[in-house]
Amino acid sequence: MALLELRDISKRFGGLQALARVSLEVEDGVIASLIGPNGAGKTTLFNTLTGLYQPDDGQIRFQDRSLMGMKPDKITSAGISRTFQNIRLFSHMTVLDNVLVGMHSRVHTGLPEILLRTREFHKREKEALHRAMELIELTGLTGREGEWAHQLSYGEQRRLELARALAAAPKLLLLDEPTAGMNFTEAQSLVALLRELMGRYVQAILLIEHNMRVVMGVSHRVHVLDYGEKIAEGDPDEIRRDPRVIEAYLGSGAWAKHAQS
Amino acid sequence: MAAFGLLTYIAASCWLAFIFPQSVLAFLLVEASFLLLCYVPAPPKVKLFLGALVLLVLLPSLGAINGYYLEIAIQIGIYVALALGLNIVVGFVGLLNLGFVAFFAIGAYLWAIFGSPQANEFIAGGFFPLSPNWFFPFLLLSIAVGALTGALLGLPVLRLRGDYLAIVTLGFAEVVRAVFNNLDKPINFTNGPKGISPITKPPLFFKPWLEFFGWEFSDATLYPMYFYFLVLLVVFMIIIVTRRLEDSRIGRAWKAIREDEMAAAAMGVPVVRMKLLGFAVGASFASAVGVLFAAKQVFINPESFTFMESIGVLAMVILGGMGSIPGAILGAAGVTILNLQLLKGLSLWLNGLRQSGTILTLPLLGSYPLSELPVQFEPAKYERMIFGLILILMMIFRPQGILPPRRDQKR
Amino acid sequence: MELALEILPQVLLDGLVLGFMYALIALGYTMVYGVLEFINFAHSEIFVLGAFVGVEVLLWLQDAGHLAVLHPGFVLLLVIVAGMAISGLAAMALERVAYRPLRGSPRLVALISAIGASFFLQDGLRLFESLWRNTFYLNYPTLDVLDQTLPLASNLVVPVKSLLVIATALLSLAGLHFFVNRTRVGAAIRAVAQDPETASLMGIPVNRVIALTFFVGGAMGGLAGVLFGLHYSLVNPYSGFAPGIKAFTAAVLGGIGNIPGAMLGGMVLGLLEAFAGSYLSILTDGAFGAEYKDVFAFVVLIAILIFRPKGLLGETVREGRA
Repeated sequence: MALLELRDISKRFGGLQALARVSLEVEDGVIASLIGPNGAGKTTLFNTLTGLYQPDDGQIRFQDRSLMGMKPDKITSAGISRTFQNIRLFSHMTVLDNVLVGMHSRVHTGLPEILLRTREFHKREKEALHRAMELIELTGLTGREGEWAHQLSYGEQRRLELARALAAAPKLLLLDEPTAGMNFTEAQSLVALLRELMGRYVQAILLIEHNMRVVMGVSHRVHVLDYGEKIAEGDPDEIRRDPRVIEAYLGSGAWAKHAQS
Repeated sequence: MAAFGLLTYIAASCWLAFIFPQSVLAFLLVEASFLLLCYVPAPPKVKLFLGALVLLVLLPSLGAINGYYLEIAIQIGIYVALALGLNIVVGFVGLLNLGFVAFFAIGAYLWAIFGSPQANEFIAGGFFPLSPNWFFPFLLLSIAVGALTGALLGLPVLRLRGDYLAIVTLGFAEVVRAVFNNLDKPINFTNGPKGISPITKPPLFFKPWLEFFGWEFSDATLYPMYFYFLVLLVVFMIIIVTRRLEDSRIGRAWKAIREDEMAAAAMGVPVVRMKLLGFAVGASFASAVGVLFAAKQVFINPESFTFMESIGVLAMVILGGMGSIPGAILGAAGVTILNLQLLKGLSLWLNGLRQSGTILTLPLLGSYPLSELPVQFEPAKYERMIFGLILILMMIFRPQGILPPRRDQKR
Repeated sequence: MELALEILPQVLLDGLVLGFMYALIALGYTMVYGVLEFINFAHSEIFVLGAFVGVEVLLWLQDAGHLAVLHPGFVLLLVIVAGMAISGLAAMALERVAYRPLRGSPRLVALISAIGASFFLQDGLRLFESLWRNTFYLNYPTLDVLDQTLPLASNLVVPVKSLLVIATALLSLAGLHFFVNRTRVGAAIRAVAQDPETASLMGIPVNRVIALTFFVGGAMGGLAGVLFGLHYSLVNPYSGFAPGIKAFTAAVLGGIGNIPGAMLGGMVLGLLEAFAGSYLSILTDGAFGAEYKDVFAFVVLIAILIFRPKGLLGETVREGRA
């Protein structure tokens, strides 16, 4: 059974058809990639999936529940969390607090408990803190937890976004260009980290990525968007050979180089 | 070492204030001890002890000599409470509320109407004014009423863009004031611009205890002291509540919304609900202080709740540092002292010069008889200019405020 | 009911006068919002400044004994030009000092600075007049021409000053329309409003265009101030708050950033207010009267922002900026 199932999702912005009847499934235990030229609608698809946009048409089902019309926070509670293409951390909050915000939907302390500082409150805060520190360690940010998010380097900020997304304890993790701006070794270690997450922290990952080496190296399944339409789907080998994909990317040197490598 | 220095300073300034009970300057020096407590490095326990010493013992003793000191301290306390409330909305959640004074007004009118004969105008039976014993239940009630009105206002407007939200809150406050101003007909609820008085004061429940120990005080001497400690207690409670909220998932969610609303939503923060909560908490503080204000003033009318008051509180929060509890306290104290003491002092001084007919002689510029200084020129009347300058200068040169929120060094 | 019909023409006339005044002030809000996406909260003080310049010029003419000798048309022209010029320059200076250093900061930072500027200017005017005249409530000297009336019908007496307001406002609104839509400079303003970055790439001096926008908006506000003073006579440094908020409401009502929208919004709001002021008491049998007319504007503002935030004619503000 598919963890996530999109059927015929369409989204228009004025005259622009950002998504046209896109269908895709993400199976349990799978790392899937979403690729396509700039402006193909990849991030729009993420925004639609996470409730920031409402699709004009179509169906989104997650673990056999419809997500249609749900607010972003409810979707996060349901088990989907994400990172952003242009890093969107809470700049004037500490690294630790950034991760703790990610846990908002998982820590259920109410107003009375918070005001009265009940034992329950302390217990839950301690658990949350413990988990946050674990995620900070996992993403290699140990020692930086007291710093403000905007003080981190670019690579660290990307990893903090990952830690924050993981804090929501998602079943499905959506990553929007996680290796953007990273060099080869950094990208490799991120790929290793993603593999490590599977099964232990998340059940499936869907990532938008431009670095074809990463896509081809890590994905079990690749979905290709072009002008808001899904033009291909398959395992990395099939995608590499798909004439429509090559057509869509024609002129994009990066693709030609990576496709042959 | 630093602790000893602090103690010496406090002792010296209080001694000065005892010797010169009429001196504004001496009292300012006493107030400055809090600033030192903020900045001088000393063990937190020592600071806490010294702070408590000044607030609980020295200031009240000074107040017993010169009641004006207590009056100033009470005013500062009221503004500190308001600034802490607005700080939640503006500093934590990042929503500009330009009509904060409306909630203060609602609390004040709540007690003013029922704690005075006013309510007899529309409720038959002559039950009013309520006895002083109702004061504390009304203080609690005002928290609920404030939270409710805050949420009711928030519900429709919180989806608006930031600057539109600001203007709508301004409009809301003006509507509230206009309603209080005009609801003397068709049924007289608020007595209109003439205002309401006399408003019942809180109960002197401890008087028998004092008499038991053989201490006899007249009510007139007891009340200022009583209000001082009441305000202190309320401010203390507000600080505790604010700190607990700040250091919890709610406070973190607020700040996340302030930093990036969309990212906060994507991280599972229910944005609208959290904004509503912030509005409601801030409003409940203001409303509770309003009850206190009404009881202290004995008389209130809509003039006390103008747009200028909202901006004044905003200036306090911004001066101190948005999102910072010590900042809000410092800002409120600083601006109140400036308005109540420095500007008034300057006005009195100028008046003195006018009357004494002093001639100001400036080198090269010639001489100018100060008796000709226009009487309309009164520094005490230029609160708006002060607020305005604070807002512009802080935004341009130090938007984070004097005491910006510090990074949490926990764990 | 007869009473209601009887006063209708007079109410309409009052509404028109108010409406034109609001429209003139609203232009300043809407033009600045168009280019900077920011509420110039101190615009109401630019308006009041115009009123004070007007009264100072008239008092100066009076003291010098010119007021009785000069042609009233010339006097009016002089007062209006002075009010427009000084208000326009003040708006430019304000932009330079209090807003330009904050460009690129979050929206609310600039708004807070603007509120500060508004308060500062109110007391600044008060300080100046207190030192200069030892009073800050000033009365416009009477001009005989303005106090005449034209009885058009038994129930409609048109004061010349109302005609003056309407005619001047119409003329300047038409002039502004021509300036923005038919001149090169106007095209530059529109380009910056559409997209400042592209405009700057196309060689448009964005800073100068923004300064010019403030000047034009300020001058319109100053004109409104002079007309306000001529029409209602009494001015004080705090007279700007209520008209300012109402004009802002008018700008939002018409769709912020939208110049014809500001004119329409101003008219609608002016008429609404005049009707509320005259009919509220009749409709509610005296329970609620004219004292609620100020509240009316706020209720309209809140309702518009909640139910139709893009205004009657739609916003012409660019999308996409948070």
